[in-house]
Amino acid sequence: MTKLFFATDIHGSDICWSKFLNAGKFYEADVLILGGDMTGKAVVPFTHKGGKNYQVTLLEQVFEITNEDELADMKKRVRSRGYYPYLTTPDEMAELEKDPERVSKIFLAEVLKVVQQWMDLADKKFDGTDLKVYCSPGNDDMDEVDEIVRSSRRVLLVEGQVTPLDANHEMIASGWSNRTPWDTHREEDEDQLKVRYEAMISKLKDPRNAVFNVHVPPYKSGLDEAPELDKDLRPVLAGQSLKPVGSTALRKAIETTQPLLGLHGHIHEGRGAMKVGKTLCINPGSMYEQGTLLGALVNLGKDKIENYVLTSG
Amino acid sequence: MSNLFVRKATGMVRSWSVFDAFIYAFFSINLVTLGFYSFSQMYYFSGGMIPALLISAAFIIFEVVVYASLIAVMPRSGGDYVWQTRIFGGGIGFILAITGWWFTLWLWTPIYGDMLRQIVITPLLGAFGMQQAAVWFAGQGNALFLCSLLTLAFVALVIILGMKSYARIQKYSFYAGMLGLLIVIFLLFTSSPDAFKAGLDSNSASYFGTQQLRMYDATAVAGVAAFASTPLMGGSFALIMVTLPYLVFFNLWPNWGATLYGEVRGATDYKRNFAGMAWALGVTTLLGILFFLGVDRTIGWDFYVQANATWWNYAWGYTTEVPPLPVWPNPAMLAVFLTDNRLVQIVVLLLMSTWWFGWAGTLFLSSTRVIFAAAFDRLLPEKAAELNKNGTPVNAMLYMLLPAILVSALYAYNLAGFRSITLAATQGIAIMYFGTAIAAIILPYKKKELYEASPIAQMKVLGFPLITVAGLIFGGFLLFLLVEWFFDPWLNTAGVPPGLYGISIANTNSMIFLGSCYAIAAAIYYGFKARRKKEGIDLDKVQAEIPVE
Repeated sequence: MTKLFFATDIHGSDICWSKFLNAGKFYEADVLILGGDMTGKAVVPFTHKGGKNYQVTLLEQVFEITNEDELADMKKRVRSRGYYPYLTTPDEMAELEKDPERVSKIFLAEVLKVVQQWMDLADKKFDGTDLKVYCSPGNDDMDEVDEIVRSSRRVLLVEGQVTPLDANHEMIASGWSNRTPWDTHREEDEDQLKVRYEAMISKLKDPRNAVFNVHVPPYKSGLDEAPELDKDLRPVLAGQSLKPVGSTALRKAIETTQPLLGLHGHIHEGRGAMKVGKTLCINPGSMYEQGTLLGALVNLGKDKIENYVLTSG
Repeated sequence: MSNLFVRKATGMVRSWSVFDAFIYAFFSINLVTLGFYSFSQMYYFSGGMIPALLISAAFIIFEVVVYASLIAVMPRSGGDYVWQTRIFGGGIGFILAITGWWFTLWLWTPIYGDMLRQIVITPLLGAFGMQQAAVWFAGQGNALFLCSLLTLAFVALVIILGMKSYARIQKYSFYAGMLGLLIVIFLLFTSSPDAFKAGLDSNSASYFGTQQLRMYDATAVAGVAAFASTPLMGGSFALIMVTLPYLVFFNLWPNWGATLYGEVRGATDYKRNFAGMAWALGVTTLLGILFFLGVDRTIGWDFYVQANATWWNYAWGYTTEVPPLPVWPNPAMLAVFLTDNRLVQIVVLLLMSTWWFGWAGTLFLSSTRVIFAAAFDRLLPEKAAELNKNGTPVNAMLYMLLPAILVSALYAYNLAGFRSITLAATQGIAIMYFGTAIAAIILPYKKKELYEASPIAQMKVLGFPLITVAGLIFGGFLLFLLVEWFFDPWLNTAGVPPGLYGISIANTNSMIFLGSCYAIAAAIYYGFKARRKKEGIDLDKVQAEIPVE
């Protein structure tokens, strides 16, 4: 029996990454799997005001920093929400206002710096252990992230691959999603997703005992309910109107193949476990900005799920 | 957060419209269903209704602050259940939330059913000249049970349709309902007491086949005999306060539909959530006052209270004498009696019916979410959260529907005086809110890092976190309500059952109902915890925080 721990959508949160690395020992899991969307969504400027003074606007609240302790504390606070602190000056801020390309470069550099730190931490932590750690970046993660993950000794990049988990179970993995309103880094049309899934499924030795680690949830699974948005990306009817946004190609692939387990993310509000035919599909959800690592512990048996539970760590 | 440094990523949605949020909160504190219904039952108090409305709103605004704050700190997390579980740990959150959001909602079913017939079915049947059917539907026993079943059928239909469809129905209902209410208020302010007297006498006969020629006078006499006393204004502060535990049946719910999806942008999100709920509370309070003044002007305040006293004295079984007006004196219906045009009457009654249809559909919405959350936490069978092929949560629905049918029967047939526990429907949820208020008070201290990295970290009152101050005031208010409900120590010093609110500790039914709910919740929690332990799942551990090294 293999005990796996799955978490997803940690979006740059240092706390969640540390918890993820500790989850193996804490939950006594054999395998750690991180679903997609590991990078953060915002860079927070720390504007230098002379001497040791900085001004920071975090969540629309202005903080005046007057010494190094406060600076360190504020950096930690920003990182705890998955955002990236960036020390700058009023002059640079004025220049950046006019130069969105440079902003993108800064963003990418900050994202990659943190991913590198995370990989270094994982390598250091797991050297000399048997714990397996798998990762497949999601639609929000830039392509450049892959190279850094690939360079890690202990975190294995499994995008597009069939990975043996134990003697009885294999895993296919993909962080690609169907189209979103945000035009993110790894999204494509359903027919392209179908090809992507079929390429991996065709290589499975025992599809019924497989794990589908696919970032996007299957369509209309209950794990893919998100607020309906208008053309300006505003939730309609105050967010009361929910609609399924999962992948139809994935749903079809699951219905046809009937693997043992589906591991999904993408929709942070979609926490749950549902059956699609005989397949148990899990979306542990995400509360990364609160520093809470939501996850799923699953005991894989031969031809069946021995047990599972959603965790909140 | 400067947009300059935010990238395009999944979930980066813009703020929703405050007006939309207002609509859902406005429907939750529903003036025409919850309001008219509870006002009518409050015929025996001595505190003025207008000051009571204002004072209750002043307290409930702190509830709005508490919930807007918790949503800003812990969005998308599942509400009271998760907040309490994360802040207190252990089973407290489960037991309080399961009772408040699931079991208590069974008791709301016959109450919704009662409103369906009194607000929708009976007046419309009367308006269409179906006198016998109208009176039958207003009766006890079978009629109330049937209407409870109709309510359940409607709620099940809404669950099958899904919130995407129902949210639109609610929005259309809002506009239709508001139009109806404005017409009612217009009629009340533009007519005269004499016209009302004449309209009541003639229309009550044509609607319900009453033989009473002087309906107004007969009802007034019966009302005096039923000890109608509640004033419109006045009363000491203490007497006004004592009315609040009844009044909150109507207005304790502005937080009902509060949500926050997508990325939290900052303090603005807190303010938007606060604004949606606070405007709903404020506008509903003002409309309530306007309605009272209109009633006073044309129907006459004393007559309004007397008519209510006459009905409820009979409906609650204090007398077997059928009131002169053999149906609930629905204020909207009384208002349409001010016009002789039957078509206008029907149109206004139909418009006023949308207040029920836009509101009642969410009866089991929160329950379904709590059942799902508990099932995902393995504290209920896996099947509880299963969806059928059409995406309908059939089992969760049955968990609600089947017990609700039983409770509806107990209520409809008033078995062992079960109907006296109406306010326990509010009490059970208020106890859960009390848990949330305590959680809010201690949040900045128990979850310091989480609080300090939240959008409300800088919101302080005299140096204390706003959420703590608001939690103390709201929690204090809830504590007052709980003391009143359980003991009503000021006006019922002898502890005579069923007490001023019907649900004191002297009311055995109420205590059994509430006690059973908590006992079942505790049994589920500890039973499933033990079962999962045997299966190799330590539920304490899977909810515990992973150490960060």
